[in-house]
Amino acid sequence: MEKSLFSFIWKYSARQQIYILLITVLTYPVIYILLELPKLIVNDAVQGDNFPRTILGFDLDQIPYLLFLCCCFLTLVVVSNGLKFYLNVYKGRLGERMLRRLRFELFQRVLRFRLPHFRKVSSGEIIPMITSEVEDVGGFVGEAFSLPAYQGGMLVVQLGFIFMQDPLLGLAAISSYPVQGYVIPMLQKKVALLSRKRVKNIRLISDKVGESITGVAEIHANDASAWHSADISDRLFENFKIRYEIYNRKFFIKFLNNFMNQLTPFFFYLIGGYLVIEGNLSIGALLAVIAAYKDLAGPWKELLAYYQMTVDVGIKYQTVVENFDPQDIYDTERLTADETVKLRGDLKFEHVAFSGGAAGQEVTDVSLTIKSGTSSAIVGADGSGRAEVLQLAAGLVSPASGKVCIGDHDLDKLTDSTLGREIAYVGGAVHVWTGTIRENLYYGLRHRPMTEVQREGDALKNYKRSLSEAKETKNPSYDLEAEWHDLAIAGVDNADDLDLKALELLAAVKLDADIYRLGLQSRFDPSMNDTFAERILNVRKELADRIAADPTLAGLVELWDPSTFNASASLADNLFFAVPSDPEITMDQVPDLPVVKEFLSSNGFDKKLQDIGLQIAETMLELFSNVSGSSGLLGSYSFITQDDLPEFERIVRIARSGQTRPGLTDNDRSRLTGLAFKLVPARHRLGVMTDELKAEIIAARTKFLDKVVAANQEFVAFDPKVYLPPLTIEDNLLFGRARVDRRDARRRIDEVIRTIVEETGLRQPIIFAGFGYHVGVAGSRLSAGQRRKIALVRGLLKNAQTTILDDIATGLTEDDKVLRENLRSILSGKTFLFGTSNAEIAAEFEHGFTLDQGRVLDAKK
Amino acid sequence: MTLEAEVEALRKVPLFRGIDETKLRLLAFISDRTEFQAGERLCTQGEEGDSAFIILAGDADVLVQTPAGEKKVAQVSENSIVGEIAILCDVPRTATLVAANSMDVLMVSKDDFLKLLNEFPDISLEVMRTLALRLERTTRDLAEARQGNSGG
Repeated sequence: MEKSLFSFIWKYSARQQIYILLITVLTYPVIYILLELPKLIVNDAVQGDNFPRTILGFDLDQIPYLLFLCCCFLTLVVVSNGLKFYLNVYKGRLGERMLRRLRFELFQRVLRFRLPHFRKVSSGEIIPMITSEVEDVGGFVGEAFSLPAYQGGMLVVQLGFIFMQDPLLGLAAISSYPVQGYVIPMLQKKVALLSRKRVKNIRLISDKVGESITGVAEIHANDASAWHSADISDRLFENFKIRYEIYNRKFFIKFLNNFMNQLTPFFFYLIGGYLVIEGNLSIGALLAVIAAYKDLAGPWKELLAYYQMTVDVGIKYQTVVENFDPQDIYDTERLTADETVKLRGDLKFEHVAFSGGAAGQEVTDVSLTIKSGTSSAIVGADGSGRAEVLQLAAGLVSPASGKVCIGDHDLDKLTDSTLGREIAYVGGAVHVWTGTIRENLYYGLRHRPMTEVQREGDALKNYKRSLSEAKETKNPSYDLEAEWHDLAIAGVDNADDLDLKALELLAAVKLDADIYRLGLQSRFDPSMNDTFAERILNVRKELADRIAADPTLAGLVELWDPSTFNASASLADNLFFAVPSDPEITMDQVPDLPVVKEFLSSNGFDKKLQDIGLQIAETMLELFSNVSGSSGLLGSYSFITQDDLPEFERIVRIARSGQTRPGLTDNDRSRLTGLAFKLVPARHRLGVMTDELKAEIIAARTKFLDKVVAANQEFVAFDPKVYLPPLTIEDNLLFGRARVDRRDARRRIDEVIRTIVEETGLRQPIIFAGFGYHVGVAGSRLSAGQRRKIALVRGLLKNAQTTILDDIATGLTEDDKVLRENLRSILSGKTFLFGTSNAEIAAEFEHGFTLDQGRVLDAKK
Repeated sequence: MTLEAEVEALRKVPLFRGIDETKLRLLAFISDRTEFQAGERLCTQGEEGDSAFIILAGDADVLVQTPAGEKKVAQVSENSIVGEIAILCDVPRTATLVAANSMDVLMVSKDDFLKLLNEFPDISLEVMRTLALRLERTTRDLAEARQGNSGG
């Protein structure tokens, strides 16, 4: 990359910079005339005589002449400000484009780093470099040439004016410049070095913060938060010290500057005054010079600020760019090329050596041949070079010497477009992307946009604009909205077949049951696929029929019935008989919704609920006030936590004292209501739910449905004939609650649901619904095993000619054994490399190579 | 049945007779109220016991495994506690319990019961006293039986 900021700016924006300079020069005469016109108006139009004046062949009297000059003045004001406006927008746009280009270039360089380079750089350092650190560059680019040209020009003109008045005063005016021009850069240099240090320190801080967030579980598990806090605190102090020193120097520079600037008028008054007394200078000239000097301060200040900014931004640019210039970066071509070479033939290692830079990561003079279309085990303990050999075979790392070839092709010479499509590699450390399971499964098919999106009208206009902007900034112009999944690679014709194929592979790796469960737990939007909702409703009906017909099942569930009280559901569920449309709103938040508040107070239910809450709180206090927190009794049975007990003790005391002052606050009342809402009568047999109260709740429920739910989009009512999007698929299927006072009711009902789902063929659609499950940040909502299997299916879906698995399914359990058999049958006829540390497992494969300390020990032919 | 009714029932159980009211209420509250229908199993002989059953209503048959299959040896009914040995020490269930008709049972889990004993030593003492009395009676019965045997 360009080493200095100015060469970067000049290389990519020379034409625009010249254009900006031309426009800047264009403003000079306008500004000059703008200075000249007032003089003309006062001297000629107002105070002049001998009218009319002849302008462009017209004779103008005094008033029309004045009007004409004033209009000229106004026009020029508009022109001058218009030019400034145009120039500013142009500069801003240029800056943003250059910034986009720079940021993209930096990001692309990250993709071009060789894998071993990532042992030296971390995301925590790179992110601020690409985002915040280069931010100033954008603002600077537009000003880079125009500011010195404009302000410098001004300075020269004004200095010229002063010199015209009196050379001696001119000399006085510039007397401080040499000092300022010498001392200040020297001080400035020190500040620049400090800000460089500061930038590096901030980078380190963001790296540490990022690391702490990633490893937060580890921090808690090891009680290491004090150490991490101390570490960050130390860095922050370092930052403070640097910053403080910068302030000291920066403000000293300012002080010096101001002093120098004030020193000059001193000379003016002294020399000028002397000259006036001696009669060598008119007092008017002295005043004009002083006035001109005031004007001089503006451009000079701007120039100094510009100089400071140049140094500052230049340093920032260098501090960033030097990190993105490793010696052995891949060519851009490797990322962007789209030609694919078919890799057929044997996989050959010819005297390959490689070093990962640490003990146990070396490969020394490995030569081996893996016949095309066979399955081979690569055996070796951790540190035997097994992982490195497999990464070399996948083309992920390059050999230090020797060659890795498939057929006649040297892998090191191939581009990503070939390696990424012809070879599937799944290593021990898999990565699952933040997104849905579907996105993760089909990730390996997302090479280039496959379709062209048809756009019309504004959409087309916007798209064209984004294309032209991409071209201006050398960003790629791939269409994100297009269909990216390359179905042909997976060997299917349409998206539905792709889902089926994925399901088949999920079954082969035994992940389908997990995804089925995730599907049951997920929500789906019936507007996307109403036949599926229809089928769920049918199953719901069938399930209800079956439960009604079978007395052993009937006792296990309480279905939602508008006319009865559901003792296994909370009081809130019973009262509202509806769920918030937004699944993000939990039951805890419901009492605070304005519509609910209003409903409750309008029919006096708020008071009733508070009384119930109060009764519950009293009982809880009575039962648990003598129980110590360490016993764990409170945690599992009470709906009040140990920490909240004193709070409720206070509330109960106030409520029972009958005092009007200070009384319960709104928050206290809301807590009592919340407590009442959580009551599940069958579980918490506190005796507060009398039959009378149940009847009242059912009556209130009808009112709530009529008044609030019907008139409001915020709630969806429990209705046996309607699919409820806020509930999970499972809850929609059952449409009731498993009874809490029957043993194993939940498990036994789940079994019934499973059977009916299987019978009605709903399992597959539910699995597909599970494809839409969001896996959390980097797959954090999945288990390690699930993540690994998803990565495995992702690799298998690519249908690559060569598949390389390392440290996947290497257990000795029956499950893993079946999985390996399945893998071999799926990959039969293709080249399959399987990395494991276990020789027994390796015996299952046709061929085997054993590695030890980076050398091939023996080969099973 | 509410908590109060459960406390009444618990009071009738000999094991808990001497425990004061509030602690019985706590015990009732931390227990699971469960319904069993005729024919449903409360527990099976040989499996690890994780809870004791206090019968609030209905009856259960006590079955033991014999070479000829399961054989009914006794019946337990209202206000009796069964399976309490299993929650005091780690022994497998000594018999199978099957609901004879529809039952209302208070299930006290082992973990919670031990927590309760830990928390309130006077309950432990009370339980110990009852168990000791039971042991004393069993010993006396055994002695009498032996005397009867040798005498007769």
